[in-house]
Amino acid sequence: MAKPFHRPHSNTWWLRRGPYRVFMLREWSATIFAVYTVLLLVLVSKVLDGPEAYDDYLGVLKSPLMIAFHAVALAAALLHTVTWFQAVPKAMPLRIGEEKVPPVLLMGGAYATLLGASVVVVALFLLD
Amino acid sequence: MRYSNEPLFWSLFSAGGMLAALLLPVLIVLTGFVLPADEIAFSHLQDIFSNALIRLVLFALAFLVFMHWANRFRHTLVDMGLKSLHTPISVLSYVVAIAGTAWAALVLLG
Amino acid sequence: MPDTITLELFRYHPDRDERPRFQAYEVPFREDWVVLDALNYLKDRVDGSLTYRWSCRMGVCGSCGMMVNGYPKLTCAAFLRDYLPGPIRVEPLSGFPVERDMVVVLDDFMQKLSSVKPWIIRETAAETMASGEYRQTPAQLAAFKQYSMCINCMLCYAACPVYQHEEQFVGPAVLALAQRYNLDSRDQGNSQRYPVVWADDGIWDCTFVGECSAVCPKHVDPAGAIQQAKIQSTVGFMRSLLPFGNR
Ligand code: SF4
Ligand code: FES
Repeated sequence: MAKPFHRPHSNTWWLRRGPYRVFMLREWSATIFAVYTVLLLVLVSKVLDGPEAYDDYLGVLKSPLMIAFHAVALAAALLHTVTWFQAVPKAMPLRIGEEKVPPVLLMGGAYATLLGASVVVVALFLLD
Repeated sequence: MRYSNEPLFWSLFSAGGMLAALLLPVLIVLTGFVLPADEIAFSHLQDIFSNALIRLVLFALAFLVFMHWANRFRHTLVDMGLKSLHTPISVLSYVVAIAGTAWAALVLLG
Repeated sequence: MPDTITLELFRYHPDRDERPRFQAYEVPFREDWVVLDALNYLKDRVDGSLTYRWSCRMGVCGSCGMMVNGYPKLTCAAFLRDYLPGPIRVEPLSGFPVERDMVVVLDDFMQKLSSVKPWIIRETAAETMASGEYRQTPAQLAAFKQYSMCINCMLCYAACPVYQHEEQFVGPAVLALAQRYNLDSRDQGNSQRYPVVWADDGIWDCTFVGECSAVCPKHVDPAGAIQQAKIQSTVGFMRSLLPFGNR
């Protein structure tokens, strides 16, 4: 058998198909989260430093750049949440006897938890 | 049998992914948009971030999100063609994640 | 409806070509033709040297997988009418070395397939036919049935970017088949498969791109199988850390 041909694999494979591009965005969302978490920690430390430090930082948070970053971060978070919840029934399928519990039901549970957690956090921040 | 170390990193990655999926959307809206709109009083923020339980939750969130990041970051770079640098990238990712966690501990648990 | 449609075929004959090239052919357009019909037409009437694998023409044998316009497909299930107005580019499955035209080298896949021992393993060697059949309830069958539908067409490998850059990766179909036997109530061979499945180049190379499941013609969902195995492996790992955890 003479020399089989090995086709090169391009490093830009992830540009080639819609689902690959979504996958890459999903993966990079984690980096955006890490940056957001740093900002969150900065916020906490400024608040703990007192009103002046917080006011200065609030000015930074109001800058168009920061608003833009948070808009991107929100989009990334939503992409992550949706894809993460899609994976839940795949990674942890439930069966009752012969029947598979419908994946939408498991996803529904995940979204209900999301709703509950969000309500708690909103109440924490907005109710005195 | 001899186990791969991956389950350790993967379980931290998964815990971080779950917390991020549940908490980050609402947190980003609150601190990224509601705060700059002057909708939350400083004294209230002070109360929130002084609460020991909330600090603990925030620390867990920071730690796990950093671990989530490290795992995705190292795999993504390999997927994008840096396979030959797999080991240094992994080490660097987790060093950064642990440094971030140490700082979070300083801010939240100090 | 057009009268003809153009096919751009990947051509490589190692004795003749230094490197692959594309060659365009016109074939009659027929509403009920699939890409494989067009290839058969060309081989019979135009160019007998065209080389590709096929057998059943009905999505069962798993031998006719090729890249159709860059997407892994069973060519016996890819209708020309879905690619109008053409041209349709047909290439061998990506990720595999090319032996000749659309024929890829299967050795790597075959070796990986046998490495997970895809058959029922029993601990007691003394069992004979006389000891009777292994019984299974419908619920026990349902636990693994989905993973038993695999036809080894390797479309999932061609769709998997991890396999394309990490040839050590055991890969979607083989890991799903390992899961198929690990979940079978009649099987007792899990611990023999774990060293392959739970290794770094087993499930842990997977970054859950998910395209393997999207292209699978049999809805095997290898991506899901791998995620489940990750959880099981993690549970095993945690147990092994406990002083009295293992066994
Ligand atoms: S899992 Fe699906 S795509 Fe992969 S070889 Fe089996 S049938 Fe083909
Ligand atoms: S020829 Fe058998 S699956 Fe297509």
